[in-house]
Amino acid sequence: MASRRTTHDVAIVAMGCTPFRDHWNSSADDLLVDAVQECVGSLPDVTLDDVDAFWVGTQGSGLSGQTLARPLRLTGKPVTRVENYCATGSEALRNAAFAVASGAYDMVMATGVEKLKDSSYSGLSAVFPPADGTDVDWTAPAGFSLLAPAYQAAYGIDEREMRAAMTRVAVKNHANGARNERAQFRRAVSAETVERSPRIAGQLGVMDCSGVSDGAAAAILVRAEDAHRYTDNPVYLRGMSFVAGSGSGLAADGYDFTTFPEVVTAAREAYAQAGVTDPATQISLAEVHDCFTPTEVVLMEDLGFSARGKAWRDILDGRYDPDGALPVNTDGGLKSFGHPIGATGLRMMFECFTQLRGEAGERQVPDARLAVAQNLGGQPGSCVAFVAVLGNER
Amino acid sequence: MPDQPGIDAYAAYLPAYVLDDNRLDPTTPPRTGGPARSVAGYDEDAVTMAVEVLRHVAADTPAGRHLLLATTSAPYEAKTSAGVAHEALGLDPGVTALDLRGHRAGASALDLVVRAGATAALADVRTTRPGAPDELAQGDAAAAFVGGARAAVLLARAGHTTEVLDRWRLPGERHDRVWDERFTAEILVAAGLDTARRALAEASLDAVDQVVVSSSNPRAATALRKALGGTGQDATIERATGFTGAAHPGLLLAAALDEAQPGQTILLLSATEGADAFVLRVGDGVRVARGGPSVRAQLAARQRLGYGRYLRWRGLLDVQGPARPAAPAPAAPPMHRRAGWKYRLEGSRCDACGRVTTPPGRVCASCGIAGSDAATGKVSLRDRTARVVSVTRDHLTTMPEPDVAIVVADVDGGGRLSAYATDVAPGDVVVGMPMTPTFRRLWTTDSIHNYFWKLRPAPADAAPGKDTADGQ
Repeated sequence: MASRRTTHDVAIVAMGCTPFRDHWNSSADDLLVDAVQECVGSLPDVTLDDVDAFWVGTQGSGLSGQTLARPLRLTGKPVTRVENYCATGSEALRNAAFAVASGAYDMVMATGVEKLKDSSYSGLSAVFPPADGTDVDWTAPAGFSLLAPAYQAAYGIDEREMRAAMTRVAVKNHANGARNERAQFRRAVSAETVERSPRIAGQLGVMDCSGVSDGAAAAILVRAEDAHRYTDNPVYLRGMSFVAGSGSGLAADGYDFTTFPEVVTAAREAYAQAGVTDPATQISLAEVHDCFTPTEVVLMEDLGFSARGKAWRDILDGRYDPDGALPVNTDGGLKSFGHPIGATGLRMMFECFTQLRGEAGERQVPDARLAVAQNLGGQPGSCVAFVAVLGNER
Repeated sequence: MPDQPGIDAYAAYLPAYVLDDNRLDPTTPPRTGGPARSVAGYDEDAVTMAVEVLRHVAADTPAGRHLLLATTSAPYEAKTSAGVAHEALGLDPGVTALDLRGHRAGASALDLVVRAGATAALADVRTTRPGAPDELAQGDAAAAFVGGARAAVLLARAGHTTEVLDRWRLPGERHDRVWDERFTAEILVAAGLDTARRALAEASLDAVDQVVVSSSNPRAATALRKALGGTGQDATIERATGFTGAAHPGLLLAAALDEAQPGQTILLLSATEGADAFVLRVGDGVRVARGGPSVRAQLAARQRLGYGRYLRWRGLLDVQGPARPAAPAPAAPPMHRRAGWKYRLEGSRCDACGRVTTPPGRVCASCGIAGSDAATGKVSLRDRTARVVSVTRDHLTTMPEPDVAIVVADVDGGGRLSAYATDVAPGDVVVGMPMTPTFRRLWTTDSIHNYFWKLRPAPADAAPGKDTADGQ
């Protein structure tokens, strides 16, 4: 019943990540080539010929494994395209990890890409199968904005306090992104800017929403015992779990919109594999799915970083700031790094990888040893959730 | 044929909005004391209003009858509108669904109710060009009648067909054209008086207790009311709603029945493309024959609507929307497969744990146990109260409003709905608020009208679908 660590431990030995932004002059193909070249280029003795199998995650920027094989002109290689909403990039890494863990391949690559700015719409666009027309035509912010009134009602938090916590998430993540040359938005923002931004859905304004951007990311994975053949400082996958929600939160009564049960389950399993018993004190930093500001508030509780009903207070107290006890979204998060769907999960890994190797420059979290990458898609009540624990020790 | 011709049950539906000011330029002085028109919401049409009004009286209509929908504003050409209402009501497939079109269709439908025992909805949405002289004198409404004798028995009826160019519209056009009403008034008054006198003679009555006159021609209506000795009660209703097209004789009759005493006689005269007269004796069961709130109560509950919003709702003002693709069109096979959910709001009740899954599924969303299609009990959420669990406002809606509220609500007795709120200011929807389902048109994409249920605030003391005794 339980998910376990794999037979072979897995290590990430190289990563690449494009800047996330309006890449008006680059196609999804170009972005993938950029991310893959940076990734493979960081290992002096490795070429793409050495990679045995590939995964590419994209929600809407390509179909089939040819999404990657064609731009890279890969010859005779297996390439698998995966999709799991906004956790698509994580899903690519998860499946690639299983492939080396099983012993089927020695070296694999996970990639993710999304090209969102080629449509004229400022939000996400997706094509769904023919349906009966009974689903609410939610925007993504509308779905996630349901968290705020429900969270307030559950814990007796007034509008002003909730607004302050949400604003703090945005201000923090923009400040972090300002120190990251790959981030889409590189300007710190004031609380006033966040709170005066035009309303999109419920209490959410434009500045409560993640950046819509283009980008790609890539990782090379090997069995842990082989990692030092390629790099002196590999990052190890200590635990990993994924849950595709049953959707019961929207299909039956009972779910109260103050939590992501899928994240809670995924976190519990990943922590167990990694030997994490007290995430609030053992985790050095976390990259979490701050698609909208209230999401990050709730996730601090789902991941065990804050007690139930207390995350808003911990956020305001600075616990998740870069100099706080548990820095969250040090690279800017979805909020300011941007959110090209298929690449986001791998972008989170990229920051964890960078931090755990001590290469994060002015963003560096001192003595970073264990990092959490948490990624989700869908909406509260019906989501898919990924949690990984990464470490610089095996 | 029914044992005794007449009306067994009736209901009227007025949409939640009233327009009483159509000044394009608000710096000009307001007009006071003028007529007002009833306005259907942007998500309403003849079909949704028919469903709304029929829910009160026709949920249990037995097989073998006809379901009629009379309108001049059918949402589709060629496709039968009554079929959508039939599906939403869950009527037996043996009940024939049939549209009647044209301005006289309402009176004709009533004729088939009282004489052939049919069930009929009379529903209309009426627009004119902005600024037309009769813009506030046309309105939107629905009424429903079931054949039988509880509310009223038919003493006599007479009809008179006259071909006359009165109000007309070509397919694809939006607004009626109207001939000089002085000419048509003369024709309709003559037809109306002749018809009324023949009906009264057949009923062996010199006079009736109430005269109700509906006419597409306001000049004719005034003359006929005067000539037949009406009290003007019908004119008062009409001044508050406008002429509601095919629905109008039904709306005025429903208003009369709301207040009539058992044993009283009513002359209903519809003077439109000829004339139709009905002489009715009010039945002993008239008080319990009404479904839903009275016309007077509905008039009192309406919200005022600004002219700009009205024009936008009707598509008469082309306003910039959000940079967002149109909502997707539904597809025919899933609409057909899921008719129980889409048209009747039926969830599945789990045989194992008893909880309700919405939309219905083969496997229970609560306990995960699979039931067979035959074994899984279907439960209708249509007439239940649902309480808001969380709410948001979509400021990028593709609907003709700056924002709409979207709620997740738990249904009393089980089940959960994610739905658009309607007939309410988005900011007024709060967690815990009780709401009730209402059948609406969500959007129209690729020429496919997408009907489904929304939620509107529950009346303080009543749930729709049940007989209510307000306003009395």
